[in-house]
Amino acid sequence: MDEIVMAAAAILILIGMTAAIFSRDPFDKLISLSILIAGVFPFIVNRGLLDVAIALALIAPLSTVFILMACQRRAP
Amino acid sequence: MIAGYAPEFVIGLVVLVAGAIAVAFPRPNDYLTRLINLEIPAFGLLLVMLSYNEALALLTFGAISVLSTFIYVRVIQKKEAVA
Repeated sequence: MDEIVMAAAAILILIGMTAAIFSRDPFDKLISLSILIAGVFPFIVNRGLLDVAIALALIAPLSTVFILMACQRRAP
Repeated sequence: MIAGYAPEFVIGLVVLVAGAIAVAFPRPNDYLTRLINLEIPAFGLLLVMLSYNEALALLTFGAISVLSTFIYVRVIQKKEAVA
């Protein structure tokens, strides 16, 4: 059971990484980056570092918000 | 997974190398694309740190990565305001 979930998380990371590298639009890149981040969390929880998972879940979307500020300024 | 290494170590190295190549050669050769691509090797390094069970390093690196992104965005906005 645990191996299936970890394999799914690894596939999620690889799909997010590939989509984030090869997509050209900045908004597409941000969405793919969120897929990558979602794949990282099961590995952190699997190690038992729940405090790190809580802190990272609170902090990681902030970078998306900051990059959106730069994208918004750039859009015509 | 591979020869006794933890799976997050191997996946983290793959993400780190691919993300570093994507930052070095961004496809639309643009600073915004480069800034977004910079998040990819950060999470690869996070996975490598995770395989060594360093909780404090993970917390510090996650916080500082977001802070540096904020500073880069501020610098880009100042540069675009001047230009």
